Amino acid sequence: MSFDLNFIGILIGAIMASSVPLILAASGELITERSGVLNLGVEGMMIIGAISGFALMVVTDNLFLAVIGSMLSGLIISLIFGLLTQSLLTNHVATGLALTIFGIGMSAMIGKNFVGIPGKEFPLLFLNLKESIPFLGPIFFGHSIILYFAFVLPFLTNYFLKKTKTGLIIRAVGDSPTSASNQGINVTLVRYSCILYGGAMCGLAGAYLSLIYTPQWIENMTGGRGWIALALVVFATWSPIKVLIGALIFGGITILQLHMQAVGLRIPVQLLSALPYIMTIIVLVVISRDSRKIKLNTPTSLGQIFYKEK
Amino acid sequence: MNTKLKVSEISKIYPGCVANDKISLEFGSGKIYALLGENGAGKSTLVKILSGVVKPDEGKVFLNNKSIKLNSPLDAKKNNIGMVFQHFNLFDTLSVFENLSIDSDKKNQDLRVLVNDILEKYNFKIDLDIPVLNLSAGQKQKVEIIRCLIRNPKVLIMDEPTSVLTEQETDDLFISLKQFSKDGILIIYITHKLKEVLSLCDEVAVMRKGKVVSVSNTIDEKIESLANKMVGENLNTIKKKINNFKYSEEILKISNLNFKSDDPYETNLNNLNLSLKKGECLGIAGISGNGQNELFQILSGEIITEGTSIMFRNKEISKLNPRERREYLMAFSPEDRISQAAVPELKIYENVALNNFKSSNFFEKGLVNEKKIKEHSKKILSNFSVNTDNVELKSQFLSGGNLQKLIIGRELITSPELLVCFNPTWGLDVGAINYIHETLIEINEQGKSSILISTDNDELLKLSDRICVIYKGKLSKIMNADTVTAEKLGILMGGGSID
Repeated sequence: MSFDLNFIGILIGAIMASSVPLILAASGELITERSGVLNLGVEGMMIIGAISGFALMVVTDNLFLAVIGSMLSGLIISLIFGLLTQSLLTNHVATGLALTIFGIGMSAMIGKNFVGIPGKEFPLLFLNLKESIPFLGPIFFGHSIILYFAFVLPFLTNYFLKKTKTGLIIRAVGDSPTSASNQGINVTLVRYSCILYGGAMCGLAGAYLSLIYTPQWIENMTGGRGWIALALVVFATWSPIKVLIGALIFGGITILQLHMQAVGLRIPVQLLSALPYIMTIIVLVVISRDSRKIKLNTPTSLGQIFYKEK
Repeated sequence: MNTKLKVSEISKIYPGCVANDKISLEFGSGKIYALLGENGAGKSTLVKILSGVVKPDEGKVFLNNKSIKLNSPLDAKKNNIGMVFQHFNLFDTLSVFENLSIDSDKKNQDLRVLVNDILEKYNFKIDLDIPVLNLSAGQKQKVEIIRCLIRNPKVLIMDEPTSVLTEQETDDLFISLKQFSKDGILIIYITHKLKEVLSLCDEVAVMRKGKVVSVSNTIDEKIESLANKMVGENLNTIKKKINNFKYSEEILKISNLNFKSDDPYETNLNNLNLSLKKGECLGIAGISGNGQNELFQILSGEIITEGTSIMFRNKEISKLNPRERREYLMAFSPEDRISQAAVPELKIYENVALNNFKSSNFFEKGLVNEKKIKEHSKKILSNFSVNTDNVELKSQFLSGGNLQKLIIGRELITSPELLVCFNPTWGLDVGAINYIHETLIEINEQGKSSILISTDNDELLKLSDRICVIYKGKLSKIMNADTVTAEKLGILMGGGSID
């Protein structure tokens, strides 16, 4: 058997590509949750992003507009969540669930006219380098700009939260909104901003699916990735770098188990399909065992409605 | 630099309660002012108005004869008014330095220099780079104070600052406050503790039911005079007549009580023996953390220990759970009102129902008989002078004193033979303390027994017939209360021995 290094490189490249939507959505949700807001609408925001990105691409024939539009639509739909939870003080969990159901239904309705339309080829960068360097080429080159962005994003997020004043304020609001408010911080404004940012990132994650990963519109095409992203944030104990690791493990095992199914191992298919979920959780739980760190990273006020004293 | 702060005709009305009723006060720098009042007198509302957290319905605030607007905490900061809240306004998961830097416009390096200067000047010892949740209450308070000092405050408001401090930390705080006052900062000190007013402050304004009822120099005041002003009636000083041991019947006998725990935060108990007569109050003194918690839980049946014998009214009850013990007419009032004795989110009548007895017929065929429970709860509220008759009120809206009255009332309304209470007046104001003390004396006079586990020696000497001290999980000899003095207790509590 020939040990094909280049094949492994291509495999790793595929794993990276499959983890991009998870990284984007989870990084966005992580900022939202760090401000103390639990938005369970990730799946809904992603799928709205996916359909609006695809629809805009078909209508305008412009990929740039499609990507920007998908982010805007994610942002707008998260604005609904913000209005409800921050201004009308509704329960975060119920509102988030409703948002997901709304997003899935809405996208199916809009998407009716776009089923079966072929996507447009998304420009990939450094294609020549991908071909010319064995092994490393397919890993590092020949990807879309969004993939590169996704892989830098967790580090940026980490730096933003730890080193910048705005990051500090977001963490403070997530820790204790009452204290923050008493310090003169506008809690509602901070939380709105984080919700909108999370919405935009989820929209982008959706666009990656419908424009690049599988360039077409299929109903329900996010296939639960929004829920995985949510779980990643929690099991990664709100650490952006661990979110990246978790997303890669999930993507990796998803791809590997597909190959295992193709090889025809005598393991039930259902078990193999469940493997990515189980392994991701196990690994993240194991690498996040430091209870002290968990305590420091967990937004204490997560999911709590904030009332300002008057 | 002289600072003058004046509040004029401040009013704030909440639904069903006038928190501040036309309050006018004047303060000047160089002095420490006390704002004294019972829980719910309106002190906290007034300081929240001064710090911009709450907006008054009417009235004005003047700083150096200039009217200032305090619409938000930022306004207070701009006007150099600093505030240390009773419930700390810190971010537990952020480091000390992050907590300080969050509302400072200074560059991190400059801020660090400034903070280190403050630490040195006032001899504070705090590691700036550890998360706040690792700090003690005293240290957390220092962080709050530093946060105010960074902004060169003209006015520093302290809201009940000693409620979470140890005695040593309180002494340190007072030293710092006096130093701040010397440095020209106007200090307003909110408290319901009379001793602190006399030992720290120069002037005292007493508030009652939303109004200022008196302003005076502390030199002219005594504990009694302040207490009477605060409560608004003459408090009769209660002193228990030493029980003449009317009854000889032994009601409780505990022998060979041993408890070994794997939890390093728990104290092991070592061969405790005690007995209690009918109508007697046994006081158990000690510095907290010497085994009181464990002893209370063993008495209440939350912890079941092997090899211990607890005879109550001639029955062996050591293996019974709290509910079964209650059926044998024992009653318990735990230390922590909020998390152990009552569920704050539940309504008053629901909390009453939680503590159900088989005989109570609150529950029929698995259904809750709301009417019966509500009637029963109303009876508790009126018999034990809780200041509401609304049984639908959530328990968290009761003040500490009223919640404690409810809890004790809930226990006593079934006429138990023995009441075990643990720090029943901790954190309460004078009026409520007096009421609880009277109640405890009354049950002894009715021939019911009580065990009073307390860290307050005055309380123990006032209420107990016999007293012992718990130290590192061991009980001292049990002494008649009339032979015990505060000094003796102090020696035993520190692990020393007498005679």
